[in-house]
Amino acid sequence: MSYVLSLLILLPLLGSGVTYALSSLGAGRKSAPYLAAGFACATLLLAGYAFWSVYSSTPALGQYALTEDHPWITLPGFGVDILLGLDGLSAPLVLVSSIVAVLSILSSRSLIDKREPAYYALLLLVEASVMGAFTSLNLIVFYLFWELTLIPMFFLIGVWGGDRRKYAALKFIIFTFAGSAVMLLGFLALYFGVSPSTFDIPNLVGKIPTGLQYLPLLAVFVGFAVELPVFPFHSWQPDAYEQAPAPVNALLSGILPKFAGYAVIRIALGLFPQAAYQYAWAFILVAIISMFYGAVVALLQSDLKRMFAYTSISHMGFVLFGAFATVASGNPLGIEGAILLMFTHALAVGGLFALSGFIQNQSGTRKIPLLGGMRQRAPLTAALLAVSSCAMMGIPPFASFLAELMVISGGISAYSSTAITVLVPVITGGYFLWMLKRVIIDPAPQAPDGSKAVVDISRGDAAVIALYLVPLVLLTVFSFVVLTPAAPVAQWTANLLHGAVHA
Amino acid sequence: MADYILFAVVALSAAALGVPFLQFLGKRGSLPGYLLVVALLAALASTILNAATGTESSAPFGALLTSDQLGNLFAILTIFVTLFVAAASLTLIPSGRSSNSPFYYSLLSFAALGMLLISYSADLLMLFVAWELMSIPTYALAGFQKNKEESNEAAVKYAVLGALSSAIILYAISLTYGLTGTTGIAAAAASLGSQLSDPVAGIAVLLFIVGFGFKMSIVPFHMWAPDAYEGAPTPIAALFAAGTKKAGFVAAIRVVLAISTVYSLTPHGGLFTIPNVLAVLALATMTLGNLAALTQKSMTRLLAYSSIAQAGYILIGFVIYSYGQGNAAFAQQAEIGMTGALFHIINHSVMKGAAFLGAGLVILKLGSGSVETFNGLGKRMPVTAFAMAVAFLALAGVPPLSGFWSKLLLFTSVLNGPYAWLAVAGVLNSALSMGYYGRVIKRMYMDEPEGESTRVVEPISFVLVLGVLVALIIAFGIFPGPVISFVQKAVPALAGP
Repeated sequence: MSYVLSLLILLPLLGSGVTYALSSLGAGRKSAPYLAAGFACATLLLAGYAFWSVYSSTPALGQYALTEDHPWITLPGFGVDILLGLDGLSAPLVLVSSIVAVLSILSSRSLIDKREPAYYALLLLVEASVMGAFTSLNLIVFYLFWELTLIPMFFLIGVWGGDRRKYAALKFIIFTFAGSAVMLLGFLALYFGVSPSTFDIPNLVGKIPTGLQYLPLLAVFVGFAVELPVFPFHSWQPDAYEQAPAPVNALLSGILPKFAGYAVIRIALGLFPQAAYQYAWAFILVAIISMFYGAVVALLQSDLKRMFAYTSISHMGFVLFGAFATVASGNPLGIEGAILLMFTHALAVGGLFALSGFIQNQSGTRKIPLLGGMRQRAPLTAALLAVSSCAMMGIPPFASFLAELMVISGGISAYSSTAITVLVPVITGGYFLWMLKRVIIDPAPQAPDGSKAVVDISRGDAAVIALYLVPLVLLTVFSFVVLTPAAPVAQWTANLLHGAVHA
Repeated sequence: MADYILFAVVALSAAALGVPFLQFLGKRGSLPGYLLVVALLAALASTILNAATGTESSAPFGALLTSDQLGNLFAILTIFVTLFVAAASLTLIPSGRSSNSPFYYSLLSFAALGMLLISYSADLLMLFVAWELMSIPTYALAGFQKNKEESNEAAVKYAVLGALSSAIILYAISLTYGLTGTTGIAAAAASLGSQLSDPVAGIAVLLFIVGFGFKMSIVPFHMWAPDAYEGAPTPIAALFAAGTKKAGFVAAIRVVLAISTVYSLTPHGGLFTIPNVLAVLALATMTLGNLAALTQKSMTRLLAYSSIAQAGYILIGFVIYSYGQGNAAFAQQAEIGMTGALFHIINHSVMKGAAFLGAGLVILKLGSGSVETFNGLGKRMPVTAFAMAVAFLALAGVPPLSGFWSKLLLFTSVLNGPYAWLAVAGVLNSALSMGYYGRVIKRMYMDEPEGESTRVVEPISFVLVLGVLVALIIAFGIFPGPVISFVQKAVPALAGP
């Protein structure tokens, strides 16, 4: 038994404690970002190794690499194991999460200037829970880590956020806690319904009678729908994304929704294939409504962060769409695209949100109508904004383009009428270009307090933003890095359904 | 070994009877408190030894008491609760020359003795005597701050309703004796099982539920609780929530659930069965408790309603257990449900204890118990705020804290079968409860203090008590295995069909 995956969880956890202790006692609070970055980089290396293990020895269909099994509760009649494992679905997400964690910590350096020890400790706590959620193969342990991200996130939003942070934090915790509670109900309902009773995902696959699939699928879907979020479960999200500190956004909007995207594939499709197949059309409908809703509402936003938030709703709709397209058609392309899209979206949206924090710092506002003339006033920021926007829009050479293409093709192979979704990237392109025109090209509006000199983003911070974008460009060429391990998972899920349905 | 129980009884009796003499010797300071702590530690040690030696003897003391694991669990729990209440009282209850602290600690010791004896009771009369031994001192304790109007009101209200509930229990006991000719709980339960056709048996069971329900503060017998919790000195409120309430639960397990082999309260089955009655009570208790807690402006009232809601979750385990008494197919779920209920009873004592004692310190130091007082508490009283935040998250059921696991067992146990809707209600209620727990945490860590914002000194002895409770909440959350298997051994065996 290897201990790579437990180390992957324990390292940031240890980092959280060490960072807090050292920076609040001896080393001084300015040392916190460096300590935290050190631990995050070590985690990144470990995650890279874990990813390589999966990539180099692609696990057989339905199998996992680096598995670990630590019994936690063993009672007569009740058991929970800490069962960890990695496959082509979770490995890319673990990798991208550890990248985003490092970059988020680096971009916090110049944006966070109060109570640093607690801030970085909480950030690492989130990272530890993220690693736990993506690697655990036991439903209870998965739920536990999922919940464990919410509490530090509640404090990160509520203490370090914007003007309406308290409202946003409370709304965030109440919505997501309620959603995940309903999801837990779906997990618990399985326990005494299968024989032998278990919460281990690999042992549940194929064991759940079709009659027991419908209500649990609905329950877990409510949980995922709140977390993704999809329309109409999204009302907490624009507030939380807007009020969270910009570097935290990278985790909040870049990683947390991927829990739900991941769980849709692993749990909703993996455990409830028959029910998912029967109602695939309904889930696809929800996904498409969400894609259009997010895109159209983003068009109407005047705040940069709210605009990115609605863009996220639209993109997460793509993930859901791709996953259920594979269910409906048996074509693995949809899930492959969804996995790639989760990878690219995490980086693109993380970069954009971090950038919005720097824009807020420079210009004192994130309101699109009040910004302007950034080309002259802050050329480096303007360039980064334009390039990151291209990454988000899915313009080649960014891999987001490839991912959206795969999802839409997968969707068409399920229902040809879903070809209408090609309009979504068009709308997305439209409002991003319109935003870029107003922020970068249009002349600056008359500032009421005279002309306030705008300082451009520092080279160090610009480099951090650029680091968000580099993997996206590389992925266009080397997309096989993600797609090779993803393909067996997608194929396995497709077989599961279509083996079962035709049987 | 029954000798250990006897030793605990003697230690507590000695403290209860001996400490008042300090009043006449003029030792009104904290000496009585320290003496009680020593007596409680001795009693705790002997009950733990009784549990560790593990020999179950069913008929010590002429079959009035039974030395089983269930008794051990509740004896250890209630003595532990009294211990931290006594330790916190050293800070929270003024112990100057004019105070009557010897009487305070003596009454506390009597209450602990009552709870200890209830835990081990095997006979209805023994149970009733112990019940009164626990209740009567607490009426006086609720009104202990005799110059405070709310404290008097709380005491009167609590005493009147408490006496009523005792009368109801006594009436139920007399009906049971009339039907079965015995006051031994096991014999009475077995005998009632063969008298299904007699509606009086059903009435007796209902009266037991009502009578014990007062102490368990389940809806609709909860009306006294918020007033009594608010008016009583805060450590006594902690004793109500974490101690005497649990004695109500063990009495219900010993009597109601043993009799629930009767299963149906009416001769021809139908809807009117014990599990159905308990299920309705559980739903009403958790829902009403949580809804009422959402609107409270006073911290102790909020905690009182949250405590009512938690009783509703615990009843879920009782529902599936009594259902399992009549359905062999649900035996495994019944056992898991009861394990969850017992574990949640333990957890609730620890979590609520931490929350009440924290609130008590805030009331003492900042002079007010309204929720606004808690604004910015994270800066003013960091240890208290942290302890309360952990307790609140655990009460809401956030992993990996203790409350999560017990709720998990409770909800899992009912999700298969006719009571699945109870788990749905329980989960939705947990989500609802985040509404008020989250708001208090927001007040403590995100809002700015109103008025003064200076750091307040937190007494070191108090920090120690809170520290132990928080450590237990976290330890039970991360290493739940040992404590759950201890609890599982205490689950009484199902009677079988």
